Amino acid sequence: MATLAERRSLEPWQDPKAVPYLRIDRVTKKFGDVYAVDDVSLEIFQGEFFSLLGSSGCGKSTLLRMLAGLEYPSAGRIYIDGVDVTDVPAYSRPVNMMFQSYALFPHMSVEQNVEFGLKQDRMPRRERGERVGEMLDLLKITELRKRRPDQLSGGQRQRVALARSLAKHPKLLLLDEPLGALDKRLRENTQFELVNLQERLGITFVTVTHDQEEAMTMSTRIAVMDAGQIMQVDTPTAIYEFPTCRLVAEFIGSINLFEGKVVATEGNQVLVETRVGRPMRMRAFHPMVLGTPVTVAVRPEKMRLCADFRDDGVNQLKGRVEDIAYLGDVSIYRIRVGDGALVEMTLTNVQPRTEQALTWEQEVAIEWSPTSGVVLTE
Amino acid sequence: MRRRRWPLLTLLAFGYAFLYVPILLLIIYSFNESRLVTVWTGFSTKWYGELLRNRQLLDAAWLSVRIAAVNATLAVVLGTLAANALVRHRNFRGRTGFELLLTAPLVMPDVIIGLSLLLLFVAMQQTIGWPGGRGFTTITIAHVTFSMAYVAVVVRARLSQMDRSLEEAAMDLGARPLRVYLTITLPLIAPALFSGWLLAFTLSLDDLVIASFVAGPGSTTLPMVIYSSVRMGVSPQINALATIIVAVVTLAVVIAGILMRRGREVR
Repeated sequence: MATLAERRSLEPWQDPKAVPYLRIDRVTKKFGDVYAVDDVSLEIFQGEFFSLLGSSGCGKSTLLRMLAGLEYPSAGRIYIDGVDVTDVPAYSRPVNMMFQSYALFPHMSVEQNVEFGLKQDRMPRRERGERVGEMLDLLKITELRKRRPDQLSGGQRQRVALARSLAKHPKLLLLDEPLGALDKRLRENTQFELVNLQERLGITFVTVTHDQEEAMTMSTRIAVMDAGQIMQVDTPTAIYEFPTCRLVAEFIGSINLFEGKVVATEGNQVLVETRVGRPMRMRAFHPMVLGTPVTVAVRPEKMRLCADFRDDGVNQLKGRVEDIAYLGDVSIYRIRVGDGALVEMTLTNVQPRTEQALTWEQEVAIEWSPTSGVVLTE
Repeated sequence: MRRRRWPLLTLLAFGYAFLYVPILLLIIYSFNESRLVTVWTGFSTKWYGELLRNRQLLDAAWLSVRIAAVNATLAVVLGTLAANALVRHRNFRGRTGFELLLTAPLVMPDVIIGLSLLLLFVAMQQTIGWPGGRGFTTITIAHVTFSMAYVAVVVRARLSQMDRSLEEAAMDLGARPLRVYLTITLPLIAPALFSGWLLAFTLSLDDLVIASFVAGPGSTTLPMVIYSSVRMGVSPQINALATIIVAVVTLAVVIAGILMRRGREVR
């Protein structure tokens, strides 16, 4: 897996001259009166591992199916490698898909499943055999070649499905919840394997997932979708650290939200008055007008215990520990503050649990710095 | 405490007896020497010999088998098409009506089907001159009209259970719709087609009422012959014939079972 720094150097979406490999241009899909996908535009570049993230029914799967040609858009165009494929049927598109259910043909062996796509292309028998061998090798399933799908475990099926969708050497691979049917341990291993595979083959991956952790680990970029629309498109880091709206902030991880309004601006910082206590001073990325209703968003792990609580301090809160969730590596504390709101704070368990200072009903003061959260305007 | 099993076993025994003792009796009495079907006098195979010399009965049996085979094949083709339309095209105009009309023959009394078809055939013969006379063709058409409904029900159940993403996957891998149907859909619904065919075959072989209406002189099916001969007193030849049919059917089912099992293992 490439490090973050390496990835940074190849961020084509920041290069104005880069040509997208896949371009979705104002695509809408209506089922009856319902907008499954509502005016979505996206540019995805060669070699990306792009994730569509959202809860079920947000339109992510419909969007993916339109890319595969299994649904046709009600409006808008789709371009792959500069070619308008909007009206091209699934069987003529240079795209392959891995289905959520894997959709392995139950009446064919593993080998025949992988070979199926090659046969449709009328590839000569010899070449076909070589390609199948190569794919089975790549996914380490050569010894399963004669088995039928009902004789395979979940993880093995996932590999066969992947081998089958890669067999035709597509430039663009679509994956619908690729890890959804696997158990947690297998999932974590497979995540890394999938990323390795993608980087080795240089194929552009577009995946659909409802699992934020999965999207965070694997993707170059994530598009968060809700109600058929795209809420934010960005790198995993940016999505997590700098969400642009409440919905994205709340969807990824947990977050503390304080509603209030802007009472002063100082350079690139704003002072926000909220219901929970004294003003909060936060960094703002856009100039803001006084009186704007905003939400201050701070993640639980950005909170820390406050040693010198001052009555005129900013970004400080006092409260009482109400709940402790011990997760082993970290503990989550829920603290009831001034006006009755609950604030979450995560602390790493540096000391064994039994020797920790914080306990139920204890009075604590917490604080955070102006750069460890964002100010949301919507 | 171990659960007592004999009540269940008794029930099972009664069930099987109810189903198969009559057939067993029929087979035993086919080897009866007596001219009377109900009185056992001694073992003999003479009725089988007489059967082979009875042209009327053999002709009727052959006709029935031919009609049943053609009927089953046509019914599978038409019934599968209808099932496809119902499962795959969820909202075409007149879908509800189509569904109703397709399944109507399942509940329609045979007498009504027979009579209405007879009227139709007569009217057609008078206006367009086809079908010229009644016989093989008219009986087959009549049988297809109701047995395709049964096939459609069987195939439809199988089709609607099938995972649609299998066909989508095939299409995604480059197979055109017709190829998808031939290489993915058909193999997967084959068991339903097979049982549909057998069902249609049996229904046709069985039918007395409808065939009586639409048959013409010189085209008498097996059930018609048996029925009319029963009225004059059953000849043990019928028993012999029935035994042969049971044997053939049993053999066919066993062979089909073996083939299907082997097919599964080879794959």
